[in-house]
Amino acid sequence: MEHVTLSELRIQNLRRRFDSVVALEDMTFDVKDGEFFCLLGASSAGKTTTLRAIAGLEELEQGKVHFDGQDVTDAPVQGRGMSMIFQTFALYPHLTVEKNLAHPLERAGVDRSEVRKRVGEVAELLRVTHTLKRKPNTLSGGEQQRVAIGRAIVQRPKLLLLDEPLTNLDAKLRHDMRAEFKRLHRELGMTMLYATPDQLEALTMGERVGVIRDGSVVAIGTPRDLYENPQDTYVAQMVGSPPINFFSATAATDGQINLPFLEAQLPAPGVQSGQPVTLGLRPHDISLVGEGPERSAGFRANIKLTEPLGDVTVIDVNAKDTAMKLVLREEVAAKFKPGDDIQIGFDPADLHVFDGSNGVRLDAG
Amino acid sequence: MARKYREVGKAGWGYTALTTVVGFIYFFPVFWIILTAFKTRTDALAVPPKLFFTPTLDNFYSVFFRTSITTGNSQATDMGLYFFNSIFIAFTAVGFAVIVGTLAAYAFSRYPLRGNDTYLFIILTTRMMPPIVVIIPIFLMFRISGLAGSYWGIMLLYTAFNIPFSVWLVKSFFDELNPEIEDAARMDGSTERRVFFGFCIPQILAGLAATFVFGLILTWNEFLFALLLTGVDTRTVPVAMARTLGGEVGVDYGLLAAIVTLFLIPIFFVTFLLQNQLLRGVTFGTVKK
Repeated sequence: MEHVTLSELRIQNLRRRFDSVVALEDMTFDVKDGEFFCLLGASSAGKTTTLRAIAGLEELEQGKVHFDGQDVTDAPVQGRGMSMIFQTFALYPHLTVEKNLAHPLERAGVDRSEVRKRVGEVAELLRVTHTLKRKPNTLSGGEQQRVAIGRAIVQRPKLLLLDEPLTNLDAKLRHDMRAEFKRLHRELGMTMLYATPDQLEALTMGERVGVIRDGSVVAIGTPRDLYENPQDTYVAQMVGSPPINFFSATAATDGQINLPFLEAQLPAPGVQSGQPVTLGLRPHDISLVGEGPERSAGFRANIKLTEPLGDVTVIDVNAKDTAMKLVLREEVAAKFKPGDDIQIGFDPADLHVFDGSNGVRLDAG
Repeated sequence: MARKYREVGKAGWGYTALTTVVGFIYFFPVFWIILTAFKTRTDALAVPPKLFFTPTLDNFYSVFFRTSITTGNSQATDMGLYFFNSIFIAFTAVGFAVIVGTLAAYAFSRYPLRGNDTYLFIILTTRMMPPIVVIIPIFLMFRISGLAGSYWGIMLLYTAFNIPFSVWLVKSFFDELNPEIEDAARMDGSTERRVFFGFCIPQILAGLAATFVFGLILTWNEFLFALLLTGVDTRTVPVAMARTLGGEVGVDYGLLAAIVTLFLIPIFFVTFLLQNQLLRGVTFGTVKK
């Protein structure tokens, strides 16, 4: 049996199909002991199937799941030392909150006084003590969510799987719960594997993020890595909000490119003459000339639309028929209205250069 | 919202009047039967029909005791036994059918076979033909196997006839459940058996109650098979009722109405006891949880 030393959870080459649809294909990644790991992917990319496979709820055609030094691929669901928070919360509707919380402990054979003590503790931790005697359907969404968390952590699992736990909550609660998950992770120190389609959740909570696409992991890194050095155009557009601007261009000479809306040529190391490239520029990296840091490239653009978000405003502009988004501070943006021309610019060092055909990053680092 | 909605649970006068009229139309025959049960033979046959009369319990007495015309002696009828038969046969058979149907429905819902829908359709087809089509082969089978006239025979038959309906109805309740709840129970350490009994069944109790009552009403009123396949000792009330028709003095409507009135009571009680469950059962899945 292969021995796992480095990581608590090692996922190797998982493969799963539903009829002819491939759900997982060569899914491979490791989660370190005590880590908060996020799986970021669009819907039906395979996030839920991955979590269910790790929990043992899904049969695999191929691949191995190692956990805590053991191959658990064919182990029964019961007794893996994992628990899961489901997208629908999956509270037991016929049992009171207290019974819901007690269930994992009762099944583990914990004696009654200890069960009562630990249910009390976890209810206290999650501030649901007042709901203990009630049935789940009488609770608010946030309370149901916290009970679901409580039921998942009450038996102190070594690994907590979270399947889009915030999808069914409203925006305000989502914000609160993000902080709550981070707090729990810090206080309980358990390994957490969190699946989400929301880049904001992945970036704010994950210590490392795995981007998945069509059933496999295409990139793993810290949120900063993925944001600043996306390895290809897919990762670049998955991470960051508003999404990154892409421009098609062709290299004029080796290491130099032309952008349709710019007079000057820009340096792009590693690019060969005549090579088609895709350039990525984050909306946050564009600013007004004279407002931001040193500008190496300035150009004129026409405002099409403004989207005030409170502290900042997202502005859609056209620069010589090239559409792009930029983000300005609210007090700066307030001076402009759609139809105005503005002089904007960016630092060429902020440009991300990708291969025009396969989308792979060209400027390493 | 611009439109004002009426307070929940309060209908307007128009609707109240309408439902009262419809309700009255439906209930009137039942009301008339119950009234007739308290009438003397003369009152029962009076033209025009009498709404006001002096009630009598004679009819109920004669359901269980018959006075001989020649000797004047009172003699017990077997009607008590027939009531017992009806209750015993219907409750047991429908109970079996719901149990078997529930197990089958769980399997069809959670562990679908290749061609699952085909099997379900085949099960449904057994309810498509009129029962009278199969009466001759079944009669012969019962004669040869010796099941004719026994409790086992008629109960097995009623169980078999209720199973397709139970499977279909209960499967729809299982299909409505959130499978993540079962997965959560498994991850908490519950065995498959506990998942079924501790988590699936409690969630569909209302549905099971509805299935039971529907099956019970169907079986309770069944006449054709009971007529042909029950014996003297296992006769059910519908058959016994038919036998009071005719005779040397014509139809005794008062007696018939008294039997019908008594016959209504058990079903009335079961339905009444389970009315909340029934409402939840028939609206299962149609109301957002």
